Amino acid sequence: MVSARAATIAGALAAGVALPAAAEDCLPVDAARGSVAFEVKQAGAPFRGRFRAFGGTVCVAEGRATRVEVWLDPASVDSGLPEIDAALRDKDFFDTARHPRVTFASRSVETRGNGQVANGVLQVKATRRDLAVPFTLQREGAASVVAGTLALNRLDYGVGTGEWADTKWLAAEVKVDFRAALARR
Amino acid sequence: MAQWRNGGSAYGIIAQALHWLVAALVLAQTGIGLYAASLPVSIARLQWLSRHKSLGLAVLVLVLARLAWRWLDPPPALPEAMPRRERRAALAAHRLLYALLVAAPLAGWAHASAAGLSVNWFGLFLVPDIAPRSEALAQAFKAAHGICVAALALLVAVHVAAALRHALVLRDGVMRRMLPW
Repeated sequence: MVSARAATIAGALAAGVALPAAAEDCLPVDAARGSVAFEVKQAGAPFRGRFRAFGGTVCVAEGRATRVEVWLDPASVDSGLPEIDAALRDKDFFDTARHPRVTFASRSVETRGNGQVANGVLQVKATRRDLAVPFTLQREGAASVVAGTLALNRLDYGVGTGEWADTKWLAAEVKVDFRAALARR
Repeated sequence: MAQWRNGGSAYGIIAQALHWLVAALVLAQTGIGLYAASLPVSIARLQWLSRHKSLGLAVLVLVLARLAWRWLDPPPALPEAMPRRERRAALAAHRLLYALLVAAPLAGWAHASAAGLSVNWFGLFLVPDIAPRSEALAQAFKAAHGICVAALALLVAVHVAAALRHALVLRDGVMRRMLPW
């Protein structure tokens, strides 16, 4: 009987039995259980903030990520300093009125050491650039958690134009720390 | 002839140098702070606030050095003729001046710490934070910094007026003790 077979498969899934390689499960990123934080040096001292709104999908097969498509809303930037957040939303930085989303989509995902690397395209404002993002996918209790750190050159993406291109007072390198649980279905 | 240490009728070179250096820095800091606060978020504001923070920490260190030196080398005595009421007022005013000279930079440092805008001292080294990051704390320390500076400005005005009274009205040599000539 069909329903009996379905129940068997459901039972196997619940028990965590590995399915054939083709079974790819695409899970939404749960922003409520995650964070995207950044750090950049201002006047030689680290300055930290985060983006509150982000999301996307990570496809998983056999405990490895196979596809990553994520976005964040740069207008959700929160540094704890409203004046600075307003400047970051403005034209010289993220120009959120014209570019409401930062996106990353993988073309391929490979295994490297204990972790993985997503090779894809990061789009910030009108700039699209190839980017390799190292990350890990780990089980933490009942949840699968994607996490990683990368260093970006903000000038590659036109983040900080005009006088802000001066890297003596605002460093070019921006460290990004991301971490998010994948929602269970 | 000027001496390193305080004499019977005048402050020594070290006490005078520290007094006038702190006076000049505090005056400059007031101008820089007010100017930076008036600027929109910009590189110029970042530069001036960064200088303000570095200079403020220098003021803090110099004031602590002054207090240490004052303890090692007590100030010259006030004139015998000075009334007790005035001596007490002078003592209280000076204590409050020192307290504010310590409190104002401390509150500024705490504000920078709580706001997440740590200080790199003139680009030479990273200064540790003295407060946890918090918007509410940052607002509170910012207000405290402003109150300290306003009180300091008021007290400096009283200090200068009193010094001029000693020099021009009483002609009792009290102001002369702090003059290098």
